[in-house]
Amino acid sequence: MIIHRVIRKVQRFQGWFGSGAALCLIAGLYIGLVDSPPDYYQGEVVRIMYVHVPLAHTSLFAYIVLSVGSMWYLWKRDPIVDNMCHAVAALGAIFTTLALATGMIWGKPTWNTWWTWDARLTSYSVMLLILISYLMLRTFIDDHEKEARYAAVLAILGLVDLPIIHFSVEWWRTLHQPQSFSMRGVSMSSEILIPLMCMSIGMSLLFSYMLMVRTQLLYLDRLLHAKKGRLLSQFHMSQSDS
Amino acid sequence: MTFFNVIRWIVWKDLVIELRSRETMSSMVFFALIVIFIFSFSFSMDQQAAREVIAGIIWVAFAFTGIIGLGKSFSTELQNDCLEALQMVPESKGAIYLGKVVANFLFIFVVEILLFPMFVIFFNLDVVEEISILLLIFFLATVGLSAVGTLFSALTVQIRAREVMLPILLLPMVIPVMIAAVEATKGALNGDPLTMYSQWLELLAIFDVIFTVVSFWLFEFVMDN
Amino acid sequence: MTAIFCHDLSKSYGHYQVLDGISLTIQEGECFALFGPNGAGKTTLLKILATLLRPSEGHYEILGLDGLKEKEAIRANIMFLAHGAHLYDDLNAKENLEFALALRGLSPTQHEIKLALDRVTIGAFAEMKVRNYSAGMKKRLALAKAMLVKPKVLLLDEPFAALDTAGTEIMREYIRERLSEHSAVLMSTHDREKARPISSRAGMLRQGTLQEISIEALHSDDLF
Repeated sequence: MIIHRVIRKVQRFQGWFGSGAALCLIAGLYIGLVDSPPDYYQGEVVRIMYVHVPLAHTSLFAYIVLSVGSMWYLWKRDPIVDNMCHAVAALGAIFTTLALATGMIWGKPTWNTWWTWDARLTSYSVMLLILISYLMLRTFIDDHEKEARYAAVLAILGLVDLPIIHFSVEWWRTLHQPQSFSMRGVSMSSEILIPLMCMSIGMSLLFSYMLMVRTQLLYLDRLLHAKKGRLLSQFHMSQSDS
Repeated sequence: MTFFNVIRWIVWKDLVIELRSRETMSSMVFFALIVIFIFSFSFSMDQQAAREVIAGIIWVAFAFTGIIGLGKSFSTELQNDCLEALQMVPESKGAIYLGKVVANFLFIFVVEILLFPMFVIFFNLDVVEEISILLLIFFLATVGLSAVGTLFSALTVQIRAREVMLPILLLPMVIPVMIAAVEATKGALNGDPLTMYSQWLELLAIFDVIFTVVSFWLFEFVMDN
Repeated sequence: MTAIFCHDLSKSYGHYQVLDGISLTIQEGECFALFGPNGAGKTTLLKILATLLRPSEGHYEILGLDGLKEKEAIRANIMFLAHGAHLYDDLNAKENLEFALALRGLSPTQHEIKLALDRVTIGAFAEMKVRNYSAGMKKRLALAKAMLVKPKVLLLDEPFAALDTAGTEIMREYIRERLSEHSAVLMSTHDREKARPISSRAGMLRQGTLQEISIEALHSDDLF
């Protein structure tokens, strides 16, 4: 089958993604945490940015991959695309949670609060809600085909909704709270830019690597269950015959 | 031609069944009355304090009442497996979607109009001059709620744990409707000039258009394999 | 002409494989009786052919139309009498018929509706809410719906369940009428006595696989 040839190709390449991720992340962490100087305004605290910003970018990237994959699934109905979407959603939920957590840790010393109903924070947390409800929805359906279809519908609706949520919260905040929290003082000098780029590339590579492994795992899992179901029904048949 | 006929027949069927059984709207009204009671006990407030929070209370009550109506919309299709018959309609499923949106909109809107006087009485509101703009806000927000809600009602009725999953899926999606409806209602109840909150009405209208179109398209995949 | 064609159809729910490689061809004017123990997958197969479920593997054609790509065209030509009668409890018989047919783009006259209701002998209850109907009356009303549609392919899930002797005869008479007009009929049933007079072919579905059996075998007890 053609799908198995593709999977073998991916298996050959995924190692490069994995080692590339490890290299970029180690280099980025070293430069960011040890080599680069502390920020003029924020001091040592700024270093969490090297983890937080790549995580935030990767989780947004994950949602875009999820919605493109979902549209592709509804169009072509290729089961492995659905496995990919399932893998992306689970990884996306983890990356979004980490992005929100590091954001809160960063926010406490700089903004003096763990949480604020800022447009970006709100739309990220709603994105996390949608991803979790997406994963919940999948567990409540027995038929694989229906599960894939409904999950795709939810992901696409979320894609349309997230920008609208972002804008409405932005409007709402300009009414209720002054825009006091900004990225003030983080000037993008090369000292910051280089480790940030390293970490962003590394995080994207890590995400892609995990995505490939997880997609294959889910695909093989589905094959295994199909096989198991077939063997089980043959077993029942031989029992009822004897 | 068949397309509009299907819309008409779906609306007719839902209205006739509701007029005869009165199941959906009576449970919605009764539920909402209880919500109003609990809110008015929880916040013992003067008129000034009421102005601050009443818009939020109104929309929390309307959203949860709406979810009850939306859930019933497709769970009635489970009797005698009627859902299968809807799935086997040779026409595109969009006609069924639009019919259901219209019926759901009517149920929720009528319940809102029945309930609003209760808010006026229990929270001592002064609304005479703003009534037409309030009706416009209710109209726009209810269209948005029914547009997304009808899609999710059709989806959750076909899975396990449907009573739980409908609010879990629907509420995050209608956050923009809630924000816009609360802000606009607050503006209207304060007697602010329309220009101060007309942006929220625009947001509601944009949401309505986008989500009716997207849900119309996605409904095909919810009803058909 | 081939009315129903399916090749290697499989369907699994979660970890359970319901159908495993079903291949079947039914010509126009044939009536195929599908036997099998409970849980063998009879209803699942009928639902797939009625375009209600997508098979996990394999493909099928109804009247030469592709089951995955031309569902709308198939639906206009088939009728599925399912386990549920597809009736609304709060509408009366007439309203239920009008509604169901309107969804298919048909608008029968009051006279046609009355004829169909009389034929299934529930004409006297035309104005009664379906809520007050018995299971057998609901089945008859569903049959009246099929009579007004005149489908080219008729899929029947347990057509004789809940029907009394007279009802069974009305159902068989209708099936004969469809066969004489070159429709194809596929029915699942447990009752070979009731199915035998009208079936031209038969099959046994067991643990997700289909085995064709000869009509004569319906007389012997070995298979059941």
